[in-house]
Amino acid sequence: MSKSSKFDRRISRRSVLKGAAGAVGLAAGSGAITGFPYVRSADAKVLRYLGTAVNEGDEISKKCLADTGIKIEYITATTDDVTKRVITQPNSFDVLDTEYFSLKKLVPSGNIFALDAKKIKEFDNITPVFTKGQLPTGKKIGDQGTAPWKVLYLEGANSKTFSKTPTEFVTLIPTVYNADTLGIRPDLIKRPISSWTELLNPEFKGKASILNIPSIGIMDAAMVVEASGQHTYADKGNMTKAEIDLTMKIMTEAKKAGQFRAFWKDFNESVNLMASGETVIQSMWSPAVTKVRSMGIACTFQPLKEGYRSWASGFCVSKAVSGPKLDWAYEFVNWYLSGWAGAYLNRQGYYSAVLSTAKANMTADEWGYWMEGKAAVGDIKAPDGTILEKAGATRDGGSYDERMGAVACWNAVMDENDYMVRKWNEFIAA
Amino acid sequence: MGEKRPRSFYLLAAFFTAYVLFLYGPMFAIYILSFQGPDGGLTFPMNGVSLVWFGKVFSGSGIVDIGAAFKRSLQLGLVVMVCTVALSVSAGMAFRRSFRGATFLFYVAIASLIMPSIITSLGIALEFRLLDDFIIKSGVGDWTTAMGLFTSGLGAHLTWTLPFGLLIMFAIFNRFDNRLEEAARDLGATPWQTFRHVVLPIILPSVVGIGLFGFTLSWDELARSSQTIGSVNTLPLDLQGLTTTVTKPDIYALGTLTSAVSFLVIFLALVVILVLQARQRRHGSDAGKGMV
Amino acid sequence: MMLVFSLFFLLPLLLVTIVSAWDYNEYEMIPAFSMRGYSDTFEGCIADLPNLCTILKTYLKTLKLCLLTWVLTLLIGFTVAYFLAFHVRSKTWQIVLTLLCTIPFWTSNVIRMIAWIPLLGRNGLVNRGLEGAGLIHQPLEWLLFSEFSVVLALVHLFTFFMVVPIFNSMIRIDRRLIEAAYDAGATGWQTLVNIIIPLAKPGIVIGSIFVITIVMGDFVTIGVMGGQQIASAGKIIEARLNALQFPAAAANAVILLGITILIISALTRIVDIRKEL
Repeated sequence: MSKSSKFDRRISRRSVLKGAAGAVGLAAGSGAITGFPYVRSADAKVLRYLGTAVNEGDEISKKCLADTGIKIEYITATTDDVTKRVITQPNSFDVLDTEYFSLKKLVPSGNIFALDAKKIKEFDNITPVFTKGQLPTGKKIGDQGTAPWKVLYLEGANSKTFSKTPTEFVTLIPTVYNADTLGIRPDLIKRPISSWTELLNPEFKGKASILNIPSIGIMDAAMVVEASGQHTYADKGNMTKAEIDLTMKIMTEAKKAGQFRAFWKDFNESVNLMASGETVIQSMWSPAVTKVRSMGIACTFQPLKEGYRSWASGFCVSKAVSGPKLDWAYEFVNWYLSGWAGAYLNRQGYYSAVLSTAKANMTADEWGYWMEGKAAVGDIKAPDGTILEKAGATRDGGSYDERMGAVACWNAVMDENDYMVRKWNEFIAA
Repeated sequence: MGEKRPRSFYLLAAFFTAYVLFLYGPMFAIYILSFQGPDGGLTFPMNGVSLVWFGKVFSGSGIVDIGAAFKRSLQLGLVVMVCTVALSVSAGMAFRRSFRGATFLFYVAIASLIMPSIITSLGIALEFRLLDDFIIKSGVGDWTTAMGLFTSGLGAHLTWTLPFGLLIMFAIFNRFDNRLEEAARDLGATPWQTFRHVVLPIILPSVVGIGLFGFTLSWDELARSSQTIGSVNTLPLDLQGLTTTVTKPDIYALGTLTSAVSFLVIFLALVVILVLQARQRRHGSDAGKGMV
Repeated sequence: MMLVFSLFFLLPLLLVTIVSAWDYNEYEMIPAFSMRGYSDTFEGCIADLPNLCTILKTYLKTLKLCLLTWVLTLLIGFTVAYFLAFHVRSKTWQIVLTLLCTIPFWTSNVIRMIAWIPLLGRNGLVNRGLEGAGLIHQPLEWLLFSEFSVVLALVHLFTFFMVVPIFNSMIRIDRRLIEAAYDAGATGWQTLVNIIIPLAKPGIVIGSIFVITIVMGDFVTIGVMGGQQIASAGKIIEARLNALQFPAAAANAVILLGITILIISALTRIVDIRKEL
């Protein structure tokens, strides 16, 4: 062998087998690296927090550090990547911020730690939306789809089966949730919109959009199908194969007719589509609507007569976490529910899980605007101080009870999920 | 140099300019929009003109520490660049003589290009998970994971950059004149001397190109990193993560800054090179070393 | 090199292949042998005849995009490489111009993708410009979220992958050959066809390998620029992965790998790029 291939072997051994050390050494030779600690000291209270950027507020981590001494290291990824990383890299995070519907997939992987309800101080104060499926007033809300209370409890500490009745083993502590509907550009539509059917109205040909996450997108589609009276589902969040076929057929026809401008995949895309006028009607998230509006562009989070599609997320802990780290994780979750963070979320247009503690951290005017559907007395500001709404404005859809009370279904993973994804691919290919 | 340029030169130059304009198409939108006013978004219309977003890049406010991610990506990119150049050049040399497994290695490299990045990423993640389980089982106490920027992350990037490096080496060594090496050998040069003083100077500009290519590929790599990077993100991953929430024009400002700094560096390098060349010309030229 | 590949590619690939033959249900994968990942993929291919089934339709679409991109990148890439190799005489300028073409790639693709909307959208720079010039009165809808925009973005991204290898094989061409051709009375065109193209063939093939392999597996560009409404082989895999149906995704990847290897080996059959090393 020539000299060069010896060189080859030497380099590979150094850079690959010795991994980090060798590679850093190589780069240090090129004078580029200042060096950073890969393994952190065990003393600092550090929690690695995996989630999407939506819930990862800079202010939250700062406040948490000040209050509890726990340093939150955010690992930001897209919704899909987060779920994948739980399966592929359970050792790369401590606290996981995810949605209830993905639990159906995450729990069987055995990577989720069953939290002890008794160690969560405010557990009994968590809104009954999560624990019982009803509003604080006692009104029952829609339970179609993967509603949180269906997947909140496990049968035992190491069980992979969800318990139908409350147990002390909790999968995911709720933190934030909302009721979603269609966002519209009233300045471009110029007439009232009141039903989900408008999403497929040919009037908005080439100007509509839905979410390209099959689990969520099909729920939007089902709302439309049901609203137009073409079919009534027993459970939109758990369709039969025939129902999936029907729903996808209707969507496919709309797609072929050019109804959709694009499907959006992340928060930012939804804002861009709407703000640039590429779409005038699309399924959307509340803070995205707020964002469009704060750019001076008219945008309404339109309440519809068929109700809302709801979602909820919160904290899981990785099974790989143990010892003092586990205590910090509990401490962090307890801190999160203790009010400051809840108020922060409410001010963004989300809802917090423990209402009483959040209320204590908000002004009466803020609480009235965001939660009670009252007209704002003063200007309503975002957590970072920018003005979101002028005095006198009321929230689209009204109060907490009106909005959460009108929830029709939850984001879902269906029993026929595999079939659904296949059909979704077919829909995209059509 | 004095001879007159043929007409085709101007035609092709125009074509090249058009291509460059096309390349920079989306960049223009980025450059303009990075001066968006404080209330502006990522799309037109412009909401006033300001430098606010440039300030935001430096002040580092926001969820993810863009600066840190930038540094991490730069480090990884440079390491990948060094490894890619070293491995590709040596592999390229090896391929000039046939060796056992050459065809196999060739197709493996091609396959590595084809395999959708997310799948490769997944495979590496599975592999490291098995490794982690093994280490934990064998009783290493505080073990968390072997995954990281410079283990699984570096590996994932190399599976991406090496096939490019290798194939470009094929183009470089294509019809490479063996007589030069033979002559060197006849004059008593060791294989290393032959490589260092004869082969390397000839292929140097191309090797610089491979390095550049490797760096750029690694710098921009997304899918392969997504499952293999462990608990720290690279810059593209962080940026992509950011798109799950309110994204502000500060990412455009980042783009504008990156371009501006690159232009500056290249301009300075050009000046230095031209000065050096002018000096070299005065002191008598050394053809092989014109360019480093 | 072999070590890197075996550690970080072959071993993972092996795992993926094993996983592709696992069974799975709605929520988890089951380590038991099953070809369901494969059979599901070809679901309806026989039943739906004479209509094309999803997977065939998807592959045809992918091939079409791939072919278009390949032709365009080849034409543009060859011309650019020709210019750089034969008309730019100093190495310094060659490198400077190469760098000039590289700079846009240093702004992360995530950012560049977003920037296509303000460029090509209804209110984008191009539409504004055309309207301003009085050429159109309605914004052009097909500029964005269409096959046009997909191919445009792919060409934009990958032409440079064509330029680099072609350029490298062109500078290896002995200038005396070209001069000899001119002296023998060949026209510029004849020289191009009879001398330069045959001698630059390895570069062309290598560039083609780059472009074809990447486009076949691409899902990000096709997803974003197609408004997530255009199917591609990579996108199927992505959707499966995101639904955490790893075995199905792995099976699809193995299929994709097989098909693309076939295309590439056909290409190298035509021109053996390792022959003249």
